[in-house]
Amino acid sequence: MTVALVLLTLLVGAWLLAVIEAWLTTGRLRPVAPLLAGLSHLGRESILARKPDRLFFETAPVLLLVVAVLGAAVLPLAPDLVIADLATGALFLNAVLAYVLVSLIMAGWGPNGAYAMVGGWRFLGQLIAYSMLIVMPITATAMRAESLLNSAIVESQAGLWNIVYQPLGFVLFFIAAIALAFRSPFDLPTAPGELAGGVDAEYTGVRLAVLRLARLVMVITLSAATTVFFLGGWQGPLLPPWAWSLIKTLAVAVSMLLVGFYLPRIREADLLGWCWKLGIPLALLNILIVGLLILVVP
Amino acid sequence: MSEAATTLAGARKGRPSILRRWVGQALARNLSCLVVPGPEVALAHGLDLAAADMRIAATPRDATVLLIVGELSQKLDEATAVLYAQMPRPRAILVLGGSAPSSLPQADVSADLSQTELMEAATRLQRLLAEDAFAASPDDFDSSILQAKTEYVCPMHPEVVEDEPGSCPKCGMDLVAREAGGDSDAGEHDHDHDHEHEHHGHEHDHDHEHESEEHDHHHAHHNDHGQSHEHHHDHEHHQNHKRAHDHEQHQGDDDHEHAHCHEHEDHGHQQSTAQEQSGTEYICPMHPEIRQNEPGSCPKCGMDLEPHKPEEDEGVREGVPEHDHEHHHDHSGHDHDGHDHSDHDHDSSGFMSMVEVTKDLPRSADGLAMDWLEVPFGPCFPGLPGGLKLTLTLDGDGVTEGQATSLVAMNTSSEEVAVETFIERLAAAMPLAPVSYRLLACRAIEQAAGLEPDPAVERGRAAALERERIASHLGWLAQLGRQLSFVWLTRRAAALQLETQRADREQLVALRPALQSLIARLEHTPLLKARLKGIGALPHGSQDLRGPVARASGRTEDARQADAMYRELGFEMRAESAGDAWARLRQRHVEIMTSLDLVEVAGDPELPKLRAIDNPSGTGEATVETPRGRATLRLTQERGQVVSVELDSACSQHIGLVADLVEGQELGDALVAVGSLDLSPWEVTS
Repeated sequence: MTVALVLLTLLVGAWLLAVIEAWLTTGRLRPVAPLLAGLSHLGRESILARKPDRLFFETAPVLLLVVAVLGAAVLPLAPDLVIADLATGALFLNAVLAYVLVSLIMAGWGPNGAYAMVGGWRFLGQLIAYSMLIVMPITATAMRAESLLNSAIVESQAGLWNIVYQPLGFVLFFIAAIALAFRSPFDLPTAPGELAGGVDAEYTGVRLAVLRLARLVMVITLSAATTVFFLGGWQGPLLPPWAWSLIKTLAVAVSMLLVGFYLPRIREADLLGWCWKLGIPLALLNILIVGLLILVVP
Repeated sequence: MSEAATTLAGARKGRPSILRRWVGQALARNLSCLVVPGPEVALAHGLDLAAADMRIAATPRDATVLLIVGELSQKLDEATAVLYAQMPRPRAILVLGGSAPSSLPQADVSADLSQTELMEAATRLQRLLAEDAFAASPDDFDSSILQAKTEYVCPMHPEVVEDEPGSCPKCGMDLVAREAGGDSDAGEHDHDHDHEHEHHGHEHDHDHEHESEEHDHHHAHHNDHGQSHEHHHDHEHHQNHKRAHDHEQHQGDDDHEHAHCHEHEDHGHQQSTAQEQSGTEYICPMHPEIRQNEPGSCPKCGMDLEPHKPEEDEGVREGVPEHDHEHHHDHSGHDHDGHDHSDHDHDSSGFMSMVEVTKDLPRSADGLAMDWLEVPFGPCFPGLPGGLKLTLTLDGDGVTEGQATSLVAMNTSSEEVAVETFIERLAAAMPLAPVSYRLLACRAIEQAAGLEPDPAVERGRAAALERERIASHLGWLAQLGRQLSFVWLTRRAAALQLETQRADREQLVALRPALQSLIARLEHTPLLKARLKGIGALPHGSQDLRGPVARASGRTEDARQADAMYRELGFEMRAESAGDAWARLRQRHVEIMTSLDLVEVAGDPELPKLRAIDNPSGTGEATVETPRGRATLRLTQERGQVVSVELDSACSQHIGLVADLVEGQELGDALVAVGSLDLSPWEVTS
């Protein structure tokens, strides 16, 4: 039951996101558009590039989807609506997200094409940039909760949400999450104007449908993670807990889309430079501040 | 006059069923187009694809409709066939305002170049897709363009490439056949030809494995790079040689495994006998088992044998090719050879170490030796102007060298035509700046006829020219947005471009606040300045810069300064100085506003029309500052016929800058640098 509800939430979230994305790019609000797009992908040929690494090519989209769903499995949408509230939930999420890289390298290598290949390796550089900025802000939220249990992290924000308690951590995590989901302005591995789709470039038909779905679900999962770690999770007045989770998650997801809509793609060198020279010192500072707050404020 | 076929040539194989009908309807309501030559050309023609419910696809893989705008050149026609072959079925062809390309099947729908025709054509296309997306026996698509071309290369000297079999002029070795690579890949993917093999009307999900064991692929080289140097296996080198034999003796033979086995046994045997000998012997650089006591040529490959002393062999493992003394002790070089035996590497030159191939080439800036891939970008690449083919040699994602060619270059050596026809043709040949070239032709012809400029006419013409400049710069901004996935910019700039194209003076003036806010917003967009600043800076003293590119480098280069009409309108040239992509963006911003001021003073734009001329013979020369820079046309006319033409345009000069701009840059930066030149491949003269 819980599993079904979480999966349904992810699917509905992905659908809403696709509707809004199409609205932003075409200026038309068409609720059926994502369903039509999905159906047309199913009806189109799924071409296999010449001399592919078949295993990698086939596995990559599925792996990305699995990663996104696994990540969502440890995020509580309501006090009892979580597939697995692991004692090491916050850590597990980090571990799962590392496989996004694996999936993209596979998608880059698999189809045996230069654009995809460059895209896949670009994401390796991107991981080096963002990964610390995912881990360190989560660390600071776990410090406050004194637990790696995701539900405990939500409960620790009962008085004050982490977005206020540690705004710096929120900003860093939000940016890193967009980079992890490789959405614009961090869409370096797909980069339509530079790599003609990059890792996506050789996928068609059903495989492309899975890949697109996985990317949308990934955004929802990361938005749900942002909600759990920084926006007080299911907490809120009047509405039932699951509704709050849903509203906050969608709000974060939409703001991720909007950031991409209004910004040009970042330069790879700038991304690395800024993350390491600015982001990581700030993340350390965030940990320091949170540590001091925990010591000083009872 | 839109015409539609009754069945869809690009239908997917499958018996009609309810589910397939739904899929067809979904496809019909979700049209994604690959625009040839490019979305910027559609925009320049005033086509609003979004209004016709069409989405622009970034790749042929993601497109259902191949939308062809205008006439295509022969080269672009061929490239389009490759793009079409890459599109998954069901697929459709929509031709607007041109004849259907010769290398493609009959267009499913064809119509004139106008927004209303486009809307109507889209509806027809939707009907066609909804009903005929699947067919029991769809037509195959095949074209001579898609057939693999065979070329002959020397296994030792990759630079020796011939069209016919023979022996290498450098080493005398027999040339081996391989599928022609890079150069024939006119489309935007590496796999251009590949997919064609798949497109013989089969269902694609299951039937690919049989193909292409023997073909060359850029990518294949990746497998031998970066492998650990420690992994020595005795049979590594046997692998090499097996492969060498294989390519000579079993070229095109599918039964590779078989061939390998035989060679293998044979191989070891000969080696052991050769080892027992001593003194100077002559061995084949490719086949170490061929050893004899006197000079001669190798019975296997025909290559000259080289003198060799066994004691030199110390430290070098048995069977190492010894063609190059520099590499005599270079283990890493040879070790690479043995590793490239992954399943999908049947590259005929693949037994060559990439280290060998690249040993004389300069290393990349970071000192890493990587496999260099020659990758085509274009002629229909989403981040570059359509018709421009950029070939970059990639070292990782750094560009070691690159060059741009135009597939739609203008051919000025045409036959005699009537002056009126000449004007129309020239304007039609330059889809990104038709007004400028129409004006150029009118002026040159009038000058040849000895007419003095008429201030009243010139005013309207200047206004039309300036309006086109605004629209053109907006089109460039939309293209920049596409290149950088800056969706807001693409949408906003494209919408403004469409409004500007048809606007009269009053409407243009009313657009001023919108243009100002677009510009103000761009100058303060986070990341944009960082993305463009310092990118695409031209080497100091670059010659022949023109137009906004020149002015962004602080040159006072503007043909309008010499024009009396412009002085009267109060034209004042303003120039940026940094000379990078950011300066070019700001320069175009400045020019949009300057042009708007000029139109406001000059009055309603009027399309240039040839004035009545009484003396239809003579030689004339005219210069117009087109949106991309100064263009000069010299023509000779005799009795109302244009007999000779000479065009000197900005883009012909600028396309030559590409090589310098991209060299040593990161891929993204290189593409931004090329994009910032705002090349119009049509305006390149061949």
